[in-house]
Amino acid sequence: MNSGREVSDGRLTVEGFSVAARAFADKWKIHNQSFPPWSWVPLINRTLHLSNQQEEGYLSLEEILILSSLEESPEDESLNVATDCLEKEESVDHTILVQNQENEAHYYDFHIVYSSSYKVPVLYFRGYCSGGQPLSLDVIKKDLPSCSVSLLHESKWTFITQEHPYLNRPWFKLHPCGTEDWIKLLSQSSISTGCQMPVDLYLVSWFSVVGQVVGLRIPLEMLN
Amino acid sequence: MSEKETSPAILQFAPLNSSVDEGFWHSFSSLKLDKLGIDDSPISITGFYGPCSHPQVSNHLTLLSESLPLDEQSSIASTSHGNRNKCPVPGILYNTNTLESFHKLDKQSLLKAEANKIWDDIQSGKALEDPAVLSRFLVISFADLKKWSFRYWFAFPALVLDPPASLVDLKPASAYFSSEEAESVSAACNEWRHSDLTTDVPFFLVSVSSDSKTSIRHLKDWEACQGDHHKLLFGFYDPCHLPNNPGWPLRNYLALIRSRWNLETVWFFCYRESRGFADLNLSLVGQASVTLASGESAPTVPNSVGWELNKGKRVPRSISLANSMDPTRLAVSAVDLNLKLMRWRALPSLDLNVLSSVKCLLLGAGTLGCQVARTLMGWGIRNITFVDYGKVAMSNPVRQSLYTFEDCVGRGEFKAVAAVKSLKQIFPAMESSGVVMAIPMPGHPISSQEEDSILADCKRLSDLIESHDAVFLLTDTRESRWLPSLLCANANKIAINAALGFDSYMVMRHGAGPTSLSDDMQNLDMNKTNKQRLGCYFCNDVVAPQDSMTDRTLDQQCTVTRPGLAPIAGALAVELLVGVLQHPLGINAKGDNSSLSNGGNNDDSPLGILPHQIRGSVSQFSQITLLGQASNSCTACSETVISEYRERGNSFILEAINHPTYLEDLTGLTELKKAANSFNLDWEDDDTDDEDVAVDM
Repeated sequence: MNSGREVSDGRLTVEGFSVAARAFADKWKIHNQSFPPWSWVPLINRTLHLSNQQEEGYLSLEEILILSSLEESPEDESLNVATDCLEKEESVDHTILVQNQENEAHYYDFHIVYSSSYKVPVLYFRGYCSGGQPLSLDVIKKDLPSCSVSLLHESKWTFITQEHPYLNRPWFKLHPCGTEDWIKLLSQSSISTGCQMPVDLYLVSWFSVVGQVVGLRIPLEMLN
Repeated sequence: MSEKETSPAILQFAPLNSSVDEGFWHSFSSLKLDKLGIDDSPISITGFYGPCSHPQVSNHLTLLSESLPLDEQSSIASTSHGNRNKCPVPGILYNTNTLESFHKLDKQSLLKAEANKIWDDIQSGKALEDPAVLSRFLVISFADLKKWSFRYWFAFPALVLDPPASLVDLKPASAYFSSEEAESVSAACNEWRHSDLTTDVPFFLVSVSSDSKTSIRHLKDWEACQGDHHKLLFGFYDPCHLPNNPGWPLRNYLALIRSRWNLETVWFFCYRESRGFADLNLSLVGQASVTLASGESAPTVPNSVGWELNKGKRVPRSISLANSMDPTRLAVSAVDLNLKLMRWRALPSLDLNVLSSVKCLLLGAGTLGCQVARTLMGWGIRNITFVDYGKVAMSNPVRQSLYTFEDCVGRGEFKAVAAVKSLKQIFPAMESSGVVMAIPMPGHPISSQEEDSILADCKRLSDLIESHDAVFLLTDTRESRWLPSLLCANANKIAINAALGFDSYMVMRHGAGPTSLSDDMQNLDMNKTNKQRLGCYFCNDVVAPQDSMTDRTLDQQCTVTRPGLAPIAGALAVELLVGVLQHPLGINAKGDNSSLSNGGNNDDSPLGILPHQIRGSVSQFSQITLLGQASNSCTACSETVISEYRERGNSFILEAINHPTYLEDLTGLTELKKAANSFNLDWEDDDTDDEDVAVDM
């Protein structure tokens, strides 16, 4: 496989991924300022110390906020606990503002991780509410743009729960099967160099499709 | 209070709220399980917060996996220091080992102890060096590591000013500063926020000179700031977004200001951001008025408040993380994922729900039973019942894949019981039960004392068949398959039959029961209707299979078989069942022959063809599919027998068991045999085989 500057079979090497990731993050910062920037999280590989080993890592975009209308929150048993007696302490303190129930805030974290078995990037994500409780897929689907929910029903891109490869906790991910095929299609349609796609455009192209599924759009200028 | 005076309102602070990332609980659980054990001494932790970054949502004090004392195993670079949105704040965690001790914790004194620390830091000057200690916090928790649920309660100790501070004025910062000043303040703040050295310092001084130049200084530089300013404000990162209230950190800040510098009027600056930059519309500038302590010799610790409310109530919060931490649930979702992948990649029309809900009854827990059970599990089938009345013998574990040596030492475990235990060890979410029972058999007469218990067993078997969806006939004798075959035909349940010879095997699915056909069909000629049904195990005895390549009857008294057969036959039996379950016609699906298939039934069954019978041999390494129709004279599934059973019930059963020729007489087989024998008599002079064509019952 050529480790050169171009991708022709829809797939990416580990080094290519690092290059593509930085290019993607830079373009995003310039063109997509309505969102916070992606950051690169390096992985400290303590077992191998190869002298010229490229730094491995993943891209992270976290705490994207979506406000949703107040819903029935999952049954919180602690509310049913008989009044935990704090009688002796605080008498009513007038300096504390009494807060109303506001809109429920949902936070989303997105990670773009390289899959060495598929040799393509994979989007991992999770949702949680302000107290930290994870959101279930049903709740997340309500936050997604409606077109992507119906798209998910039909295609193979169902969200699946799998172990995040580095955090060792279940995250949702978009299944990568088929990625190399449609990347090939995208690269074939790129006018400039025939069937090749420059590595630093890989993630931009990839995300232009994948991001829409989770409601993250990239402006067209990024694709130039 | 007289109405003429407009006394300023009491300054009301918006409470700080907590947010605990799932990762914190994961890390804490590991810490508890690996290192702490039952040690419940308090743990120093670090919380993180930053200024508000959204006009409609406040920021929280967050706990992450990095909040716990450093874990050497982490492969992710620690991102907490110098991170602009994660100002570290010291805290303490009291985790109890039981729910009762959680409720018994003396919250008042715990809060007081932390408040004392803040007071001490103010008095000693430490708060000027490291102002983050002003936001020190406390958490009490109970981690239930069996149910993976966590109960917790935060407190953000705030020193109470007595009398309370009053608010003279509060407005957006953009309204307070001139436009020149605003620009300069923004720039200075952005610089402060951009530098790794200062970005996580949440309390600072904002000094604006008369020519609108702003400098931001550390609190400890307060002395140095005197004199050269036009405006001097006490700035802090305000997590709160509200336009009319400052956030909680201001409380201890005022206590510090009052105590160290004896100011009665305090101008404060609630710093808030949007999109990573200072937002002076969202940020607030206010003027507070505090009452100085009246000449006490030694300042005393004020009271403190700060337990976090949960939806307005004074109760702890709780979170259940069983879905992401409970190993059994993780195993379930991994297995489900595996099956889904099969569907996505290869069989989009695969119905996984029918597989996870089907209830299988396995009659026999020997070589075939064990193999069938394992393959069923591979297909995601969770509900398996074993019926077997034997015990695990010393020769069993090598061939019967659910048993181990432990099962046969001593008196030996009952197979039905050992099998259930084994399934649960393989996959904890299995719903499995075992019945230790012998299956009543025809041709083995019983005494009248045994009648009641035999009939009870028959009833039990009948109930088991009724309550399951598919029945596997995997016993080691021919006769023991009769009653189950009859009961399955009667109840129209899917029956899969597997039998082994020394080096050959037979796997088949029984056809639908005779009364499964609709009423109008029953008006037709019996022969015709029966031709619609596939045969059962006993139909074979009379109707020759269409392919007569194999004519050895499989006598199930043979317990010596080549070891490779049971896995092959058991696996085929399960694949046959899955084929039936996925077929739109289910038990009524027609039988296919592999020789006829040119794509065969592929429209109906994405899995491929659905044969009636499969016979194979390892002496030839060959396998064929066969098709056999139901027989009118079948002793197990014919209309005659089924209606007789329905009419006479127990007495029918007893007669079948006790009288060796009863069934043959009933179905007319006796007649048939006589006819066949009379034929043979004419041919005795010819050179014929001595092979007995008679049916072996």
